[in-house]
Order: sequence, then structure tokens, then C-alpha cells
Amino acid sequence: MLRLEVVAIPMYLNSKIQLMAGNDKFSEMPALKPLVPFDDSVIRFLDELSGLLIKHPQGRDFPEIITFGFYVRKSSITRLKRSYEDLKSNVGRGVSFHIAPSNVPINFAYSLLVGLLSGNACIVRLSSKELTLTNILCDILSTLLDMPKFSELKEYVSLIKYEQDTEINSFFSSICDLRIIWGGDNTVKELRKSPLPPRSFDITFADRYSFCLIRAAEYLNIKDKRKMAFNFYNDTYLFDQNACTSPRLIFWVGDLENIRKAKEIFWHALHELLIEKKYLVQPMMAVDKYSLSCDVALDYENVALPIAPDNLISRIELESLQSDLPERTCAGGSFFEYSDQVPDKLSNFVSRKFQTLTYIGFKRDELVEYFANLEMVGLDRIVPCGKASEFSLVWDGYDLIRHMSRVVSFE
Amino acid sequence: MTNLEKYNKAFIESFNIGKDKLDGLKYQDIIAWDSVGHMQLMTELEEEFNVELDIDDITDFSSYEEGKTILLKYEVNLDI
Repeated sequence: MLRLEVVAIPMYLNSKIQLMAGNDKFSEMPALKPLVPFDDSVIRFLDELSGLLIKHPQGRDFPEIITFGFYVRKSSITRLKRSYEDLKSNVGRGVSFHIAPSNVPINFAYSLLVGLLSGNACIVRLSSKELTLTNILCDILSTLLDMPKFSELKEYVSLIKYEQDTEINSFFSSICDLRIIWGGDNTVKELRKSPLPPRSFDITFADRYSFCLIRAAEYLNIKDKRKMAFNFYNDTYLFDQNACTSPRLIFWVGDLENIRKAKEIFWHALHELLIEKKYLVQPMMAVDKYSLSCDVALDYENVALPIAPDNLISRIELESLQSDLPERTCAGGSFFEYSDQVPDKLSNFVSRKFQTLTYIGFKRDELVEYFANLEMVGLDRIVPCGKASEFSLVWDGYDLIRHMSRVVSFE
Repeated sequence: MTNLEKYNKAFIESFNIGKDKLDGLKYQDIIAWDSVGHMQLMTELEEEFNVELDIDDITDFSSYEEGKTILLKYEVNLDI
């Protein structure tokens, strides 16, 4: 039975929306009963999806698909479920409206995943860019959702595309209980033009800044430098350094001689890997990287630009950490470097914009202790180099399952 | 099928290789056993033996022989 407040979507708007998978009766979604977190029907669906993704013939061209498939396999989800066993009286909030980003194409799948796992119906607006990975995943999701055994769950999923349109944004915003905005500051600003119902709220993923902390002496002791280069590559070049988790500043810790040696080996190993991977710097990126180097050289004092054999890696060595540094970002392999005996300068430098710190040559526990005492306004994740883009149900400081479900309290 | 046969089958099917290649096989020895192949192998083994592999064991699973020791922790004995 439909709730009275259901508002149908006007025809002229509906015709601008392309359904990629799932339910096209958007207006009826608010009438659906919320699910419980980690509902059995969702786990069954994810497990079947996992089987299809892991064996996908194009998996080697799109390792992100395999990684996602691996993440949603039954044993992995069951393990995640165990860490939420205290959520016995939680239910989904209702309808979640997701605005997926275009910089990391697989991201929409993770957004859908947390939406369903927390018990919500999900309307996911995909990037309007034509992306092969998105099409592969939508085809699989569509085929699965159309199977009779998933007909009930199908009502909870709408994957859609439309060109940027405030009226359509406003329609979906008006029927949602929860809006999840990926894609940075501009997307957040755009969506905020569309009001939400009084009890609904936003989870926003704004522009963020990430960096890497390397202890030079420890790095020099690491045997497998190639593997470390590969880890760093996975955090950066795999997404053209476009992900919010991709480090842009390398903070070297140690004495000058060790740092000099470590830099030489680190950048050389990375360069070899980039050649092996046939990484291509697009002409526009090359211009951006060059112009960033020039800007910084003009604006900051004592900047060094090490000579490079080509434009794969652009390095900018700084003598001080300026507060506007996080605003100066550029994709495709552009790195600022700063060196000091100790990481203490970070405490005044880290702002609200800081998201992920990756590390090499530190122990997890020493960093936990170090950062716990600093009481900083920013920095949401501290992970080993290579794990920057690894998805977690806690993201950007939000425990997504708890945030996206409603607690029913009893006394 | 014995446990060892099931174990071998997971490798053979994940990497599309012959049984003669299994002894001494290590991670990244062959193109098929890269990080993508590894996830495929782990999924096969979990399904075959109905176990949930711990993330540390998935990381430590670096060779055909090492895998046998890891599975013993899950009470999967490949000698029977």
C-alpha cells in the first residue's frame, strides 16, 4: 500500500532518466519497508553477484571488479556482519539517494553496497560519463535483479543516469531519507540547492587531502622495493592520482643523508614500474603538472624541482609547509616533498580537509599513540602504503552502517 | 574426490594450468597467479572446503605448499 505523501515524478522529468538496472518506479520506493542491517536477502544477492564478478572474463582488464566481487563474497560479508552484532534493534532509514562520483568509477558499487547493507532502498545516480566498467557492472546487476528469486530485492535498487539537472535532483531529494553525496565540494554545493525533507540528512564526501609519511631509514631496510613501489602505485597512479585517498605530499622523516638515499631509490623504483605498466600522462595532465610546478616555484620560497628523465613523476621539494598547500593539487603524478627529523610539524599543518595518511616504515601502534595525543581537527584514516583506496565500512570518519540505519530504543 | 584433489582442482581451475605445475608453485611465478588470480583462488578454496579464510591467512598464502599448512588451521587435512 502506498503512503499518502507519495508524489509521482512528472513525465517530462522521467523521460530524461535512463534506468541502468533495477526498479523504475521511483515514486513508490518511500512506501517500501526498510530492511534490517545485513538482511539475509541482501547477503544472498551479494554472494551471487560475487560469484559472477570474480569469474568475469574481463576481470583482468578491470581488477577493481574482482576486488569488489571479493569484498562482497559471503565469507567477507559474514565477517563484517559480526562486527555489527550489537545493531539488533536497528533498521534502515528508508530511501537513500546516492550521487556517485566519476573519478573512481567502481565507487557507485560500494555506495550501493553500504546502502543495502544498512537496510535502505537505494537510488544511485551514476556518473553520466560513458564508462566501460560501469556498463559491465550494470549489466550484471540488471540481469541478477531481473531473476525471479531477487524480485523482492529489485524493488530496493534503482541505478540511473541523467545529465546534471537540478529539478531531477530536487525530486529525488524530496523523497529520500538520506542523501549520500560523493564527488567533492562542487557536487555537494550543487545538491544542496535541492532541499531535503525535515528529518532527512546528508552524508557528504567533500574534497579531501591525503599524504604519505615515510621514515627514510626504515624504508632503506625494506627488502622488496619493487613491492613498495607497487603499493604506492596502487594508491596513486591506479586512479591517475584522482582519488581523495591518493597521497599528494610525501613527508620524509629522518636525517638528511638517509632521506637523500631513500628518495633516490624510491622514485627510481616507482619510475621503473610506471614504464613497465606503460603509464601514460595525458597531454592535459602534463601541462597541469608543469604549470603547478611553475606556480609553486614562483609563490613559495626555496622550492627545488628535481630533474626528471620524462614527465611521469613530477616532484616539488619544499622547504616549509604552507597552509594553502592542500589547495594546490594536480592529478597524474605530481608530488610535493617535505623532509624533517620528526613528524611534529604535522600537528599545525593538518586541517579539516585531511583524510588519509599512508605510511611506510612506521608501526601501526606507534602512529596510533602519536596521533591520538595530537587531537587534530582532520585526518580520518591512517593506513599502510598500498591500502589507501581499500574500502571500509567506516569512511571519512563516518561509520556508514550506523549512520545510515535508525536506532529504535527500548527501555 | 579427496581433499587433495579438491585443493588441486582449485589451482587448476583458477589458473588454467596442468597438475604437473603445482609442486613448488609460488605467488607470482605465473602470470595467472597475480593479485586478481589470488582472489579467484581464495574464493574457490573457500567454496570448495566451506571455510572462511582469515585476512592474514589470505595474505600469507604465498605458495602451493604454504596453502596446505594454512588450510590445516581450518581443519582441512589434505593428506586424507
